[in-house]
Amino acid sequence: MNLALKDIRHNAVRFLLTVTGVAFLITASIGMVGLYRGIVSDALLIIEEVGADLWVVQGGRAGPFSESSAISAELDRRVEGVAGVASARRFVQVSQQFDHGGRQLRAALVGVDYPEDAGQWTHLIQGRPLASGHFEAIADEAVGLSLGDRIRLGQEDYTIVGLTRGMVDMSGDGLLLVSVNDALAIAQRRTSEEVLLARSAGGRAPAAPSGGSSVRQDSKIAAVLVTLDPAADPEAVRRTILRWGDANVLSKAEQAGLLLDQRLWRLRVQILAFTAVLLLVMTIVISLIIYMLTMEKVHEIALLKLMGARNTLIIGMIAQQSFLIGAAALGLGLVLAQGIFPHFPRKVAIDPGDIAMLGGAVALVCGFASLIGISRAMKVRAQEVLS
Amino acid sequence: MIAAPILTLRDAARHYPSGDTLVRALDGVSFNIYPGELVGILGPSGSGKSTLLLIAGLLEPPSAGEVHIRGKCVSHPGMDLDQMRHFRRNNIGFVFQKANLIPFLTAVENVALALHIDDVPARAARSYAAHLLASLDLAHRVDSIPSRLSGGEQQRVAVARALATDPGLILADEPTAALDSVRGRQVIGLFRQIADERKAGVLVVTHDPRTLDLFDRTIEMNDGRIVG
Ligand SMILES: Nc1ncnc2c1ncn2[C@@H]1O[C@H](COP(=O)(O)OP(=O)(O)OP(=O)(O)O)[C@@H](O)[C@H]1O
Ligand SMILES: [Mg+2]
Repeated sequence: MNLALKDIRHNAVRFLLTVTGVAFLITASIGMVGLYRGIVSDALLIIEEVGADLWVVQGGRAGPFSESSAISAELDRRVEGVAGVASARRFVQVSQQFDHGGRQLRAALVGVDYPEDAGQWTHLIQGRPLASGHFEAIADEAVGLSLGDRIRLGQEDYTIVGLTRGMVDMSGDGLLLVSVNDALAIAQRRTSEEVLLARSAGGRAPAAPSGGSSVRQDSKIAAVLVTLDPAADPEAVRRTILRWGDANVLSKAEQAGLLLDQRLWRLRVQILAFTAVLLLVMTIVISLIIYMLTMEKVHEIALLKLMGARNTLIIGMIAQQSFLIGAAALGLGLVLAQGIFPHFPRKVAIDPGDIAMLGGAVALVCGFASLIGISRAMKVRAQEVLS
Repeated sequence: MIAAPILTLRDAARHYPSGDTLVRALDGVSFNIYPGELVGILGPSGSGKSTLLLIAGLLEPPSAGEVHIRGKCVSHPGMDLDQMRHFRRNNIGFVFQKANLIPFLTAVENVALALHIDDVPARAARSYAAHLLASLDLAHRVDSIPSRLSGGEQQRVAVARALATDPGLILADEPTAALDSVRGRQVIGLFRQIADERKAGVLVVTHDPRTLDLFDRTIEMNDGRIVG
């Protein structure tokens, strides 16, 4: 005879309400951790997908994601000449806001070195990679465009030739992929106010180059993506490039490390702290519920003692209820998370490892709550049946 | 009676400190209860009847004196009675004024619980519990939860529960107080039957003079002492 289950069945509505309440706390925890995982995976996306072994960036800088980086336009040709380098591609990424059919859209404009890089590495779900060095774009569905749309960027109209899914930058803006030369032209287009401001500043700022091929002074090229020969020694290539003095070299792992440990560490600490607060609230709530359930059963517990029940029977009843609440809430919380979070604007990544950890934390919380109830139950005396 | 007593109280006393004075709830009580005997305890309110049952039921140790069950000293001053749970389970059945059934268990589960606690396998416990309930005219109520039972039915379930482990001693504190006279007499009749058929010693605190004809004898109490 399982007393815990019988009691739960008798008070099914209360049990369900309790479980639902705790489940929402668990859903919130899953959401917090998942949001962090989502931001990390979005942030690492380009680094992982673009397929570069090394990133050559502005000397003394850790760009282009952690800080700004501008390199001279011909650096790719120099890099290409280094022994062991299979290919070098120019790369640029800028946030861009533009108007489309009266809607203000945002995108992370990424310039790839067409024709070496036509954007094959993006997760295309419709259309095709770039087939021309000009006026074609691949957009992520998060931007809000569809295949065949024409958008005005800078001075030109661009046609969306491909659509991707899940290609976003760290802040959740969808990628908009164009050729490097197009990207530079778009990025360097100034508004008339900017031009006026520059003039009134005494013309010290250089004028925007027209056409967009030669970019010497205020180059917007952020990095050169290096693919190495399979037999090449990455360290030798790195040393060679560093010796030039005007460039810094980062490996894929270093780029990822910079993002996680420099740019995102505050977010990580914040989310961990938030999750800790949620777990604390959960501890208090479950403990309170178990304590209440125990208090409510003091009479029954006294009766069990009067009838000669062992403590294990009483402890089992309390602990089982506590863990049943935790387990049911974890299950429901997970179901809710899977139902709710896909509709959130940003990616919430539900990681099995995180769920396992959360499950462990919930088990600890339930164990603690049981102890609270059990310590109260052990104080009950058989005589209390009579009171 | 030729048999050895099932319960013996020897100079049992129970004192409660109350401010500067001492309340002598029980003040040196001695008696024997024999197997098959139905004994009533009478006395005005506050005379120590419930206290007597607590001491005899090993729920509180006496301040002085001893309690013997089946000739063995099982309770004396300063004893930790929590250790006696196992002994209580097999030797003493309790019935109180309130039925004290567990609200989330059905009638048959409430009775089977006593057997479950005594490590009887679930199926055997259930069938014996159902058999006990049937013998108390509750066959049609086995699967009802307590809140669906009348007061008399609840009290009979409580009696069945007290009988489940076939204890040699049954202690009942005003089991009929909440029942009408017909139902009350039924319950005392039940105790009469238990004493006769199971040869249990049954000690019943009662206020109801109309059932006294069913008892073998009565113990009168006043101010914590036996007065007759
Ligand atoms: N835990 C206690 N602490 C202090 N005094 C107590 C305690 N229990 C009982 N008493 C006192 O002991 C005396 C006897 O109490 P008891 O409950 O045994 O009487 P009773 O004969 O059962 O009365 P009633 O017929 O009203 O149930 C009373 O004066 C009561 O106030
Ligand atoms: Mg009393």
